[in-house]
Amino acid sequence: MLAYLFKRLLYTLPIALGVTLVSFTLVYLAPGDPLNAIAPADAPADVIETLKATYGLDRPMPVRYALWLTRALHGDLGASIATGRSVASEVLSAAGNTLLLAAVAAVAGVGIGCVLGALAGYHAGGWVDRIASAVSVVGVSVPHYWLGLVLTIVFSVKLGWLPAMGAGPGGSGEWLWDADHLSCLILPAATLSVIPMGIITRTVRALVADTVNQEFVVALRARGLSSAAVFRHVAKNAAPTVLAVAGLQVGYLMGGSILVETVFAWPGTGFLLNTAIFQRDIPLLQGIILVLCLFFVALNLLVDLAQPLLDPRIRRA
Amino acid sequence: MPTAVVALVLASPAAAPRRGYWHGVARQLARNPVAVVSASLLLLIVLAALFAPWLAPADPYKASMIRRLLPIGSVGHLLGSDELGRDMLTRLMYGGRLSLLMGVLPVLFAFVIGTSIGVIAGYVGGWVNMAIMRTFDVFYAFPSVLLAVAIAGALGPGMSNSLIALTLVFVPQVVRVAESVTTQVRQLDYVDAARLSGAGPLSIIRVHVLGNVLGPVFVYATGLVSVSLILASGLSFLGLGVKPPEAEWGLMLNTLRSAIYINPTLAALPGAMIFVTSMAFNLLADGVRSAMDIRL
Amino acid sequence: MIPVTTHWKHWLLAAPLTLALSAAPHAETVARYGISMADIPLTTGQPDRGAGAYQFTGHTLYDPLIAWEANIGTRPGKLVPGLATEWKVDAKDNKVWRFTLRRGVKFHDGSDFKADAVVWNLDKVLNDKSPQFDAKQSAQVRPRIPSIASFKKIDDYTVEITTKSVDALFPYQLPWFLIGSPAQWDKLGHDWAKVATQPSGTGPFKLDKLVPRERADLVKNAAYWDKTRIAKTDRIVLIPIPDAVTRANALLNGQVDIIETPPPDVMPQLVAQKFKIVQNVTPHVWPYHFSTQPGSPWTDLRVRKAVNLAVDRDAIVKLLGGQAVVAKGQLDKSSPWFGKPAFDLKYDLPAARALMAQAGFTKANPLKAKIIIAQGGTGQMLSLPMNEFIQQSLAEIDIQVEFEVVELENLYLHWRSGAKSEMNAGKGITAINLGYVTADPFYALTRFAAAKYIAPNGVNWGGYDNPKVNDAIDKIGATFDTKEQDKLLTFVHEQMVNDALMLWVVHDTNPHAMSPKVKQFVQAQHWFQDLTTIGM
Repeated sequence: MLAYLFKRLLYTLPIALGVTLVSFTLVYLAPGDPLNAIAPADAPADVIETLKATYGLDRPMPVRYALWLTRALHGDLGASIATGRSVASEVLSAAGNTLLLAAVAAVAGVGIGCVLGALAGYHAGGWVDRIASAVSVVGVSVPHYWLGLVLTIVFSVKLGWLPAMGAGPGGSGEWLWDADHLSCLILPAATLSVIPMGIITRTVRALVADTVNQEFVVALRARGLSSAAVFRHVAKNAAPTVLAVAGLQVGYLMGGSILVETVFAWPGTGFLLNTAIFQRDIPLLQGIILVLCLFFVALNLLVDLAQPLLDPRIRRA
Repeated sequence: MPTAVVALVLASPAAAPRRGYWHGVARQLARNPVAVVSASLLLLIVLAALFAPWLAPADPYKASMIRRLLPIGSVGHLLGSDELGRDMLTRLMYGGRLSLLMGVLPVLFAFVIGTSIGVIAGYVGGWVNMAIMRTFDVFYAFPSVLLAVAIAGALGPGMSNSLIALTLVFVPQVVRVAESVTTQVRQLDYVDAARLSGAGPLSIIRVHVLGNVLGPVFVYATGLVSVSLILASGLSFLGLGVKPPEAEWGLMLNTLRSAIYINPTLAALPGAMIFVTSMAFNLLADGVRSAMDIRL
Repeated sequence: MIPVTTHWKHWLLAAPLTLALSAAPHAETVARYGISMADIPLTTGQPDRGAGAYQFTGHTLYDPLIAWEANIGTRPGKLVPGLATEWKVDAKDNKVWRFTLRRGVKFHDGSDFKADAVVWNLDKVLNDKSPQFDAKQSAQVRPRIPSIASFKKIDDYTVEITTKSVDALFPYQLPWFLIGSPAQWDKLGHDWAKVATQPSGTGPFKLDKLVPRERADLVKNAAYWDKTRIAKTDRIVLIPIPDAVTRANALLNGQVDIIETPPPDVMPQLVAQKFKIVQNVTPHVWPYHFSTQPGSPWTDLRVRKAVNLAVDRDAIVKLLGGQAVVAKGQLDKSSPWFGKPAFDLKYDLPAARALMAQAGFTKANPLKAKIIIAQGGTGQMLSLPMNEFIQQSLAEIDIQVEFEVVELENLYLHWRSGAKSEMNAGKGITAINLGYVTADPFYALTRFAAAKYIAPNGVNWGGYDNPKVNDAIDKIGATFDTKEQDKLLTFVHEQMVNDALMLWVVHDTNPHAMSPKVKQFVQAQHWFQDLTTIGM
């Protein structure tokens, strides 16, 4: 087990390094002089000199990367050129908001997906199956930003039941689990949960339908085991895969929340990313990408490590 | 998920393509009502988009302030008019051209590029394989939406930049599938036999490998089209893809946002088009998959 | 005679009630204001994010030496004493201005306001060798006070400022220059980032809380020196909501009480739900400012005129739901300096086409141009639809326009650096679309038309250089006779219009929408608004 852990960690490190390399290169993708990408246009000469030195713009590429990486490892992701605030602090506080949204959406999506998928798989071929399949196809086909817009129209504009934007009266600094704040969470979380729901329903349905038809289950049934017990067996078999997919979905939601956050003005990393892009704020852009992707890598690792715990038969190469 | 995909894809017997095979697939498909409806719908949308310059009732760029935001069913504007008074039906048809293009092209490019790289990696094996796969693993670490937005954001708005961004997002996924299948096929007995009998690598690839690889990769790629469509329109929705005054469903969704108070149905139309097209692609892909006897 | 038992029982009942009533704190009145900026404007002294930001974190927390009367809506405001009670130009040397400072004013942190503070603040934005120099604030305000050459303290309550040349319009520049507390900067360890969260000015509001990108709480300064302008509301919460539709949504859902610039399409809904819409004549114009640098396609006067004849301005006013006024020039027709320009702005497509043909452009040989615009934001009105409409209109006269869309703050960067700079000419950008404040002669006319204000010395973005206009502007600065000034200003305006310096489209009316809970709000005829007038 320890050897497996070690192997996975060893494998993850170069990926993480690669992620940092890609984030670093983003500055150089932007057309024009990279200096314009990191310095405010009004900056006086000495500020420009400092930036040149800090980013090593007059040194060769590998040196520049090393300088950037060292500072990043110390938690210094530079300063946003639009506001002058530290990128690290901005990204982390926004990440908190997105994590909240993604977690709630993931729980809702995975939860509903499991229920629907299990029902469909159990009664494969029946009308429940057909409905669940339809729901899941809709879930993966609907453009979620459009769904968010539609939900806003129905619940906010027409019915006036729910607010259309923001993260509550106090802004992101003061999240409370009360009606005011929760009402702001409902629409964006519902919109976002549609994606994992679609995928999980399909996955669970396939797994359950498979497992239910396998010989050992038929044998169990023949021996008179109750439905509940059969269900427990099915669940245990399906769990590792569902966990893997669910874990990855949280990562996708964290990374892919920009569209929903833009529709609802939810102050998370996605919204911040949008702002960074239109303000041409490359350090902020880099910081967000880096944090989100490293989070995703860490999540992948966790999922990979948790799987053998649930099912000793699984050993990924 | 891709690993699971590959595993299940390979559950089907890897056989050399038979000429009658595709006929069989087509016949199976024709017996599937959902697939038939989806295919017809798609055909309608594609044709409308393709022949828009001849079929469309109005000029997609002609604005008219007095005829702004007319409701659906108005005289001269079957589906109403947008925020600048341009005919919605025309804009939706023209929009289809760009949206479909932005949806299909990246997948096409990724299919060609990804299959090539994947087959090479899978066939050659060894450290070349390691190097290639580990490089793409890095890109795999990025959630698709994030990678697309980051690249498009860094490159700047514009259609070509979005196409580049989306292609770069899909290539790693296709490479993975192609490499996996190639590795499996390479180990099969008759491939070994072909190698021992002196056949060169290129002819082996052409005769034995490609036939087996193209099927699963194609199936995987069809699943990507709807994702690409939604992602491409999403980029335009954010202001990163197609620029005004071009018509594109995602961009239209963005510019019609303020109309949700006056005419919400109108404002939701472009998104509905994305939804319908995307769903049609998915259902058709599902149908093709089950017709080809490959389950996902 | 009341039995004692009843008596003390009554008292027992009454006591808690009276205690409760007397102890009940006066409930704080709160107004939540949805602003159009993408972030809370800088709170360190000189706000960023444009002229429209001064009403939020400028004139609320701080005061200028000379203020603008912004609590009147029925007529244009004027210059009034702020932290300076009197200002006079020296009789012998007309370049020297002497300011008498107000006594008995304290900063929010308790320190006294004296001449030292004025000099300290001038150093803060003009002297890059001073320890308190803040590049950010300097970049924001420098283009607005281009006339200042030097300054010195005479005594604790007198300051002298010397201008670069004789400039009678100099006082108009001063409402933009705000006075912050040197003591606070000292106390917070010379760190401007800390000052942003704990600013100290002399203004009618103090900053209670700042959550970057999300909210800023302004609380009433009960000890404000101008007793006629004590805030009517205890707390105003500023909430940035840059997207207009989202902003309107927030108002309709009761998440905010006031918003600026609702999208015109939402107006009917707002009116139907009993929200109040407030507008006023606003000194503002929405133009395309052309580059007349060599290499720019707009150097030809015929092209510039053609463009001004190709836009159906009435259609745009319709698009804006009537919340705009057709532009006939840089100034509104009602302005005393409008004059009688020879060039009449109207919608005349054939004339436009003829001019373009003369200039050598046809369908086969169109004029191609790149224009930088904003996604939206204060003063930009309905940026994207309006620009798209103009793009279409210009296409009709063989001009192919390509847009570079950026966020508003970014647009200001492009603006301050001028048309010749790398960031504009280098990227092929030859025109900029930015809403302009036109409140006073400097702001309306001279800053765009004088060669001496070409970047980096000012905001004559296009590099317009007309010797007759330069002459007139110099004379305006030198003459203290208002009649003479008016004649010259009128001349300048007429020249600008005849030279089609910009494409002038409409004038904004700066609409605000408010919930019925807001009982009072005076909208001034300016971009400066007095938030102390908001009453709940």
